[in-house]
Amino acid sequence: MSTTDAALENLRIIRSLMEKAHIYRAVSAPAALAGGVLALAASIWPVVYAQSHHGDAVMGETTFLIVWLAILGVASVLNVILLAKEAARRAVPFVSEGMRMALRAFAPPMLVGGCVGIGLIVFLHNLTLAALIWILCYGLALLGTASFSPRSLVRLGWAFVIVGLLLFFVWAANHEVRLLASDLAPASLAMGLTFGLLHVAYAMAVFLSPKAKEDEPR
Amino acid sequence: MIDFDQIDKLIHEKGRLSIMTLLSTRGEWAFQDLKAELGMSDGNLITHLRTLGTAGYLKETRDESGTRPRTSYQLTAAGRKAFKEYIEVLGEIVKAAQQT
Repeated sequence: MSTTDAALENLRIIRSLMEKAHIYRAVSAPAALAGGVLALAASIWPVVYAQSHHGDAVMGETTFLIVWLAILGVASVLNVILLAKEAARRAVPFVSEGMRMALRAFAPPMLVGGCVGIGLIVFLHNLTLAALIWILCYGLALLGTASFSPRSLVRLGWAFVIVGLLLFFVWAANHEVRLLASDLAPASLAMGLTFGLLHVAYAMAVFLSPKAKEDEPR
Repeated sequence: MIDFDQIDKLIHEKGRLSIMTLLSTRGEWAFQDLKAELGMSDGNLITHLRTLGTAGYLKETRDESGTRPRTSYQLTAAGRKAFKEYIEVLGEIVKAAQQT
C-alpha cells in the first residue's frame, strides 16, 4: 500500500469512527415500546366503541387531548430516565452535545405541531386533523436528527411522514369520514397506527438488530 | 515536499489510530465501551492502550467506588496535539498526491 493509499485509508477510518462516536439516539427503544403500547391501548378503545355504537364517541375532545398529552408525558419522562441511565453508563454528561443537537432539531417541529394540534382540537374541534398534524410534525422532528441518528430512527421518521401523508389523503378524499358526527374514531385510529404500531415496530427492530449494524451511520 | 518521517509511527497503526480517534471525540471512554466500539480483544486493546499511555498520549483513571472497578481513558494535551498533527500530515500527503 502506498503512503497516499495508507493516508486515505487512515483518514477514512478516522471519519467513520468519528461519525459512529457522534451518533445519538434521541428516542430510546424501551421508551418507544412503552409509549407505543400505551398509544395502542388508548386508540383501540374509541375505535372499538365507535364500531359497536354506530359511530358514537366514547370520550369528548378535551378528554382525547388530555389522554394523549398524558401518554406523551409518560413516554417523555421514561425516555429522559433511560437516556440519563445510558449517559451514566457511558460516563458522559447527560446534557451532551448529542442531546443539544437533538433538542435543536426536535424543538421547532414539535412546538409547531403541538400548538397547531391543540388549537385544532380546542378551537376548531377537529381531532383527525390535529392527529395528522402531530404525526407529520413528529416525523419531521425525527428526520431533523437524521445527520446524527442511527438508521432505525431515521426510518421511523420516514414511516411517520409517509403514513401521515397517506392518512391525510385518505381522510381528505373521504367526505363520509370527514362528516362523521364525531371524528374521535378516525383520529384514534391514526394515532394508534402511528404512535402505537410504528413505535412498537421501531422498538422491536432495535431490540432484534445487531448493535454494530444498527449504529452504522447512514 | 513532505517529509514522511513527520508521520507519528505510534499513531500510524490501525488499532492505535482507532483508539486515538475515539478518545478525541469526547472526554472519557470506559475500557468496556472502547472494546465494544472497536471490537478488539482485551489483550490487544490493553497492549495498544499501554503503548499510547507510555508515550504520554493518554491518561488512565481507575474508579473503584462502585461494585465493579471501572477503568477509563482520556487523551492528554500531548496526545491531542500529536493526533491533530498526525491528521494534518495525512491531509498534506493526500493534497500532495492530488497535485501530482
